[in-house]
Amino acid sequence: MLFQAAPALPSEVDLKKTYDAVVIGSGAAGGMAAHVLTAQGLEVLLLEAGKKLDIEAELKSMEWPYDHPRRGAMPYEAHALTSNEYTIRKPPYAAGMPWRNVYSYVQGWSGTDYSKNIVVDEKDHPYTGTNYAWVRARLLGGKTNIWGRLALRLSDLDFKAKSHDGYGEDWPISYADIEPYYAKVDLYLGISGHPEKLPHLPDSRFQRATTLNPAEVRLRQSLRKSGRVLTPYRAGVTTDGLKHNKYRSKCFGRGACSRRVGGCDIHAAFDSPTGLIYPAMDTGKLTLRTRSIAREVLVDAASGKARGVAFVDEGTGAVLEAKAKAVVVAASTLESARLLLLSKSRQHPNGIGNSSGHVGHNFCEHVMGPGAYGFVKDLVGKPRTLDDGRPGSFYIPRFRNLKEKRGDFIRGYGYEGGSGCGLYPDSAAAPGFGKAYKKAVREGAGAGIGLGAFGEVLARYENGVSLDPEVKDKWGIPSLRFHIKFGDNEKKMAADMAVVAKEMLEEAGVEVLGTDTSILTEGWSIHELGTARMGNDKKTSVLNQYQQAHDVKNLFVVDGSSHVSAACQNPTWTIMALAWRSCEYLAEEMRKGNL
Amino acid sequence: MSDEKPSALDLTRREVLKMAGGAAVVAPLAAALGPLAAPVAAAQAAAGPAFFTAAEFRLLDELTELIIPTDEHSPGARAAEVAAYIDRRLAGYDPAYPELQETREAWKAGLGSIDQLSREMHGAAFMEASEEKRVAVLERVAKAEQQATTPAEKFFGQLKSWTARGYYTSKVGIHQEMEYKGNSLQPGDYAGIEAGSV
Repeated sequence: MLFQAAPALPSEVDLKKTYDAVVIGSGAAGGMAAHVLTAQGLEVLLLEAGKKLDIEAELKSMEWPYDHPRRGAMPYEAHALTSNEYTIRKPPYAAGMPWRNVYSYVQGWSGTDYSKNIVVDEKDHPYTGTNYAWVRARLLGGKTNIWGRLALRLSDLDFKAKSHDGYGEDWPISYADIEPYYAKVDLYLGISGHPEKLPHLPDSRFQRATTLNPAEVRLRQSLRKSGRVLTPYRAGVTTDGLKHNKYRSKCFGRGACSRRVGGCDIHAAFDSPTGLIYPAMDTGKLTLRTRSIAREVLVDAASGKARGVAFVDEGTGAVLEAKAKAVVVAASTLESARLLLLSKSRQHPNGIGNSSGHVGHNFCEHVMGPGAYGFVKDLVGKPRTLDDGRPGSFYIPRFRNLKEKRGDFIRGYGYEGGSGCGLYPDSAAAPGFGKAYKKAVREGAGAGIGLGAFGEVLARYENGVSLDPEVKDKWGIPSLRFHIKFGDNEKKMAADMAVVAKEMLEEAGVEVLGTDTSILTEGWSIHELGTARMGNDKKTSVLNQYQQAHDVKNLFVVDGSSHVSAACQNPTWTIMALAWRSCEYLAEEMRKGNL
Repeated sequence: MSDEKPSALDLTRREVLKMAGGAAVVAPLAAALGPLAAPVAAAQAAAGPAFFTAAEFRLLDELTELIIPTDEHSPGARAAEVAAYIDRRLAGYDPAYPELQETREAWKAGLGSIDQLSREMHGAAFMEASEEKRVAVLERVAKAEQQATTPAEKFFGQLKSWTARGYYTSKVGIHQEMEYKGNSLQPGDYAGIEAGSV
């Protein structure tokens, strides 16, 4: 065995007991909260809305396409929303659709059948308002079961962005505050990458990087002339192994990474259950209850403090209560905002933690879509490298608005790229037919290279979510209504992304086959952030620098909703570093009797 | 592939087609190409197509083989049973769902449009036209690949993408044609930056 199987879940959870802390949500943030709080000696109850899947059987990472009855496609009565549908239809997207099940778009080319049970069924989970691709994963571990694995740090260029360009708000922390926690996350969970000494994309404590193939080396060398960097994908994947974690194997480069939506059945890629929750259960301090849908943070009538959580038991529909001295919300950015807004009481009439009126506002994320792709002519017909065993190909860090300032937009973007040969040849898109086509596919399979950008979406007060006055989910809980639109800065930045992608490839001698200029629907990056931001001013922010509610001392919100701005880096590593820092603070404050 | 058995490999596609139509060709090729070649699914063939008529299936099978033919490197779409893959997928489409029913109808109509074009060009249905004339029909529809307008041109895009998907996800496509070496534990040098590359 490469790794040890998951521990059994308790059959009965004691709800009479008052736990030290109840954590809502078991993804990157909730898993980290469970890990840190139990390590600090607290008795923790972890509530997860979804169920625990037999994830290895679900992912079937090594299954050949031809061994699947539909070559990986979902059952015919199920449907995954398309990019077009997200744009031309209005939420709730599943309304009026004939399919038995409707899932969000996040499905790989051969992977739809492997992820359908991981994402929610839109029929049960409607939302309304502006167009938005909201990908939710209700199961133990949440979206960490299928995340893209790119693990990046933020820098003071991001934490102090307002000081740099005058827009928005600075974070109430600086890089020096969070650096020790980034390092803890690196070492505890494992990250592969190559140091580049960039001030705006600090290096992690890397395990071995994945290799760069010849096309990527060529692009790296070409970019160097303009002072830009192409670096091996910084992946939240352990390439050297983790001696302290028996639930995870190191990566063996098997080749399942790029053909499925994500997920790793040997857990070399970080996921919250094997990386954080099972080890926390082994301390004897963690109680896990799945299929428990939080619907309200309960408030003590005398003190106004949080006293626990009301949740729906998914199996029976009964509303139950969990009691705790502290409540840690980590339900994912928008679900956390929803829960705060749902938690109305005499003391907190606008929702708990919301005296500022900022819950549900200041949403931010990443804009994506624009990019370019092509092929390296002199690699055509050359022996192919085996590239899809890598957890990712490459990353080109931000280079816009570092020192010089552009007139057309502020902030920046980075590119994620892919190249080389996977199981399914990208070159199958070659024109024509017959022997010439077959040869073109065969010989072109390792020569392709492409890149697409992820850019910072500015946090704006008016962008966000509120409770829908009418629409409810399957459990009778009010749904979210979206008020989210990209603005002028995003559109100008996106135009630059496409132009520069093409230029960089051409400069490196890549024959460009196409450029993508269109912006994908809001939400497409699955990097939703903000809506309960941190800050020093309780009139304009929801949480302090320890993700503690300004209004309620024993309420913490430790997921992406706390982020003040989106930066352009993928947020998972920052979410976990912040949660680690805040939960250490929580434990210390509890010991001091301050909560 | 052994050098001692060049006979089947050296056959030109035209010669192969002369030998026999349909699945019968697959057997000697499969034998020559070793254990990875798709076995002739005799039972499946006997059961017949699940969605298409026998005539439609023969047309589809020929079209897929023309798009991805057997060549000196590996067997083509026929050996990979691409037509059977397409047939099974469409048979699984529940016609109660309007979108699926439309796709089913589009495939039948699409095959009809190829036959129709063949009649217009050559005065004969596709399968009755010579090899050369069949290729001419495909050349006509493939010419407009980027901006398809007629029904036959539009169908070609669908046909080609399903053929490619069926072929490059098959045993023949993955192992023989693409000689894919992944999907197995790698010895360890997948990671680590090579000296001089960065």
